[in-house]
Amino acid sequence: MRYLIFDAGPLINFSMNGLLDSLEKLKQNFKGEFLITKEVKKEIIDHPKTVKRFELGAIRLEQLYNKGVFKLADINPEEVDELRRLRDNFMQKANSMFKTKKRDVHLLDKGECAALALSTILKRKTKQDAPLVIDERTTRILCENPGNLKKLMEKKLHTSIKANVASYDLFKGFKIIRSTELAYIIHKKGLFKLDHPKAFEAIVYGLKFKGCSISEKEVQALGKM
Amino acid sequence: MEEQKHILDTLKQVRAAVQSKDYIKIKQLSNKFVHHCSIQQDADVISVAVIIYSLSKMLEREDYKREKNWKQFYNDYLRTIKNMITALENNNHEKFHNEIKLNRKLLSKLSGNLKENMKDVFNRAKINKASKIYEHGISMEKTAKILGITLWELAEYSGRTGVGNVNLGVTMQLNDRIKLAEEIFR
Repeated sequence: MRYLIFDAGPLINFSMNGLLDSLEKLKQNFKGEFLITKEVKKEIIDHPKTVKRFELGAIRLEQLYNKGVFKLADINPEEVDELRRLRDNFMQKANSMFKTKKRDVHLLDKGECAALALSTILKRKTKQDAPLVIDERTTRILCENPGNLKKLMEKKLHTSIKANVASYDLFKGFKIIRSTELAYIIHKKGLFKLDHPKAFEAIVYGLKFKGCSISEKEVQALGKM
Repeated sequence: MEEQKHILDTLKQVRAAVQSKDYIKIKQLSNKFVHHCSIQQDADVISVAVIIYSLSKMLEREDYKREKNWKQFYNDYLRTIKNMITALENNNHEKFHNEIKLNRKLLSKLSGNLKENMKDVFNRAKINKASKIYEHGISMEKTAKILGITLWELAEYSGRTGVGNVNLGVTMQLNDRIKLAEEIFR
């Protein structure tokens, strides 16, 4: 069984761009499960259902959840405990990785760390990677190049940052794609309903403008692929 | 102590900018204050950033000033800022915290258009500050939680900023990430 773990951002993004039907079709083409954590379910369904402005998007996502297009990971009670332990460890390590002169800078929250924890557990269980779909920038940089995050923060905060380099290794090895790469796969499989020569590029821009951290250069390159 | 001094200095500069009607300066002070918010992640510090930014937005709009209760609301708003300054000068943290709470409560005294408009100003200020904190390298979920907004609001707003275009954010060649996606769906 293969697993693909979704952070909240990409699902919110697909919902806000009206692309959830294509995600459902993609799932039918995937030999495995799309998974979320309970923290992500809260962010994409439970909480926004109480906010009028986002209620419709949340209901659309709930419908896919009820259909089983994406689901909560089926893990046993021991694994739930382990997930909690791993999640808290990721949080503790991430939130003490960078320090200004006076204090640690807290970077990540429960949802992001729970996704990393779930990926770790499933990788061990299945002996294959459990990749993640993440649109937001911080978690991705932290996993793929924490040195860049240190530089970015020093530049933005106008202060020197001391890094606990020993924690870098904990975040190494996660496989991460974004909603834009998912869109690329959907496009190549011909699963988008829109039939227009500029539709794919417009979709990628739509995803960028709803929170996917992708550069303009990357959008243009993706549009030409 | 240094943190308190920074808040105090900023609030004093805001007061001076209000007196000289330098509204752009108020917005700049709010943006500069975000560095502080990103590190501190303290509710009171973040509230101060929102209060300052909201003030700049209120002053930009002439139509608010024509609303019936504007004058009273504005004077009360400035009074809470003045009291925050006095509280910090006297090292009275409880009073400082209470003034922040009083500032928040001013909205509940309003009604009609002004209430709706001010609610909107505060909410937009929160989203703006959240987006800036996210730009500083704090994760989206963490930032949304600190400001008490939804991920939906933050994703929508931050997507329109240049956050994705920062070179340091490109951590893998696009071709490699595409290959990874293709492998996943092989």
